[in-house]
Amino acid sequence: MRAARTAYPLKWRIMDALEGVAAAIWPARFGRATPYLMLLPAVLLVGLLVLGLIQIADASLRTLDTTTFQFSDDYSIANFRRALTEPLFLVVAQRSLVAALIVTAVTLVFAFPYAYLMVRTRSPGLRKFLLIALFLPFFIGQVVRAYGWLIILGNQGMVNEALGLVGVAPMRLIYNYPAVLFGLVQYMLPFAVLMLAPALTAIPEELEAAAGSLGANWVRTFIHVVLPLARPGFIGAGVVVLTLSLTDFAVPAILGGGSQDFIANAIYDQFFRTSDQGLGAMLALMLVALGSILVGLVFALFGAGTLAMGRSRV
Amino acid sequence: MSGSRSKSIVLWTLVTIALVTLSAPTIVVLGASFTGGNIITFPPDGLSLRWYARISQASDLRNAFLRTLQVATVCTIVAIPVGTLAGIALAKYAVRFEKTIQIYLLLPFTIPLIGSGIGLMLIFGNAGILGQLWPVGIACCVINLPFMIWAVTASATGLDPDLELAAANCGAPPLQVFFSVTLPAVMPGVITGSLLMFILALNEFLVSLLLVDARIVTLPVLIYNSIRSIITPDLAAISVVFIACSGVAVFLLDRLVGLDIFLKSK
Repeated sequence: MRAARTAYPLKWRIMDALEGVAAAIWPARFGRATPYLMLLPAVLLVGLLVLGLIQIADASLRTLDTTTFQFSDDYSIANFRRALTEPLFLVVAQRSLVAALIVTAVTLVFAFPYAYLMVRTRSPGLRKFLLIALFLPFFIGQVVRAYGWLIILGNQGMVNEALGLVGVAPMRLIYNYPAVLFGLVQYMLPFAVLMLAPALTAIPEELEAAAGSLGANWVRTFIHVVLPLARPGFIGAGVVVLTLSLTDFAVPAILGGGSQDFIANAIYDQFFRTSDQGLGAMLALMLVALGSILVGLVFALFGAGTLAMGRSRV
Repeated sequence: MSGSRSKSIVLWTLVTIALVTLSAPTIVVLGASFTGGNIITFPPDGLSLRWYARISQASDLRNAFLRTLQVATVCTIVAIPVGTLAGIALAKYAVRFEKTIQIYLLLPFTIPLIGSGIGLMLIFGNAGILGQLWPVGIACCVINLPFMIWAVTASATGLDPDLELAAANCGAPPLQVFFSVTLPAVMPGVITGSLLMFILALNEFLVSLLLVDARIVTLPVLIYNSIRSIITPDLAAISVVFIACSGVAVFLLDRLVGLDIFLKSK
């Protein structure tokens, strides 16, 4: 009997031992708790962010003594007051918010036809081409992409060199607001298309044909059939683009050249240039609040759209 | 596609603009890296590989790249078990407080990167582990974890629970059910998720910028620090490393699971 048992393949014996261990530390009567055990590592990992937020909240209530460069032991809301009253932060906040709204609108306008064509085309080749053209820049970091725009639009960049050949004086195409907006739209396009595409796939093509056979032209079909049904996709894409562009750092830093700072750049400067950690933490906390309010508002008004995780429900 | 001529004209105009905008930086960086001159000019000063020769000699670049790979590896190794388990749990079971857990697990996306980065910087600073590479990998894992969970839930919802019950009915104990039925079924999601995690960690800039110091600088941060107003081709040649990695990732994704997976509706 024992000899036969050792003749079992090694894999079986390992699996048996593992099952034994698993059954000993997690008996079957815990079965109902199994999903929570499976969720635990992810919950703990994300818990790091919660801890981080608590740290930020703590730091944000301490003021910097500019003579000793020490942070106060007691809490005060002085940083909050400064963040609200200093004109610089208001300018920066307004600039970021307006940019986020413009970028969201422009990105959705371009992402929708891209996603639509990608989903509806009959040619697998074209679909693959569009997918690759989307993923290639998506997988290339922001810094490299912004660097590419510097080569194209910079003061000695390709566009200016080309204009020089035909006798046009160099123009300042970067380090301004439109350049930052443009860079952000390019950065956001893949996100938006990838959030929109599943929502468009879910719309049966027959519905469009039906609208057409009832006499609607394509514009009316889009407005009355496709766009309303694609709403979950627009919500998902809109939320992602809005929050990511509102809080972006690299594009304003590289294409704005220091003159077009967004909130994230102001926070970074507080931490690493002026070394006023308290004020920087307060600004970070306010940005988190602003972002959460925006997301919460959209979710409360329209639902979670394609952002929902987990079991699909109607 | 059904529809009129004007529809395809409008669609194609917008798509063409999007395509040009998406591809222009990649193409230009590729082109610039092969230039023969000392600065990037238009039209280019002939073709050469001298900038590639130059960067292959530079040990700081090579080390930065190796560090970046290390960060991405740590991120992926942590993300695979954590994200797979969480994704399966969310997709298969009716857990209590499901909505709350979902919102909680989306925190990495709803908290702005600068907030997450600074929070992690403060925590790691207190724990005395700033200045090492593995915390950067953990940080990259946390901020992108929803991608991994998404990818896994997307394939787990397609798994028929009866299959697992059938396996159990045939006498398979829980772990065996998991490894022989559940895991193979969600494999496409695990592959997609881990590729995403790896490539996003490879490119992660802001969180790296906050968590590294001059001794352990990663490649994206190094490129950012080297950008000056005068544009030299050596940076373009380094950037091609990222373009190449991106190309490999797209190829693998297409081969292993098919890019079409992203078009599927839930």
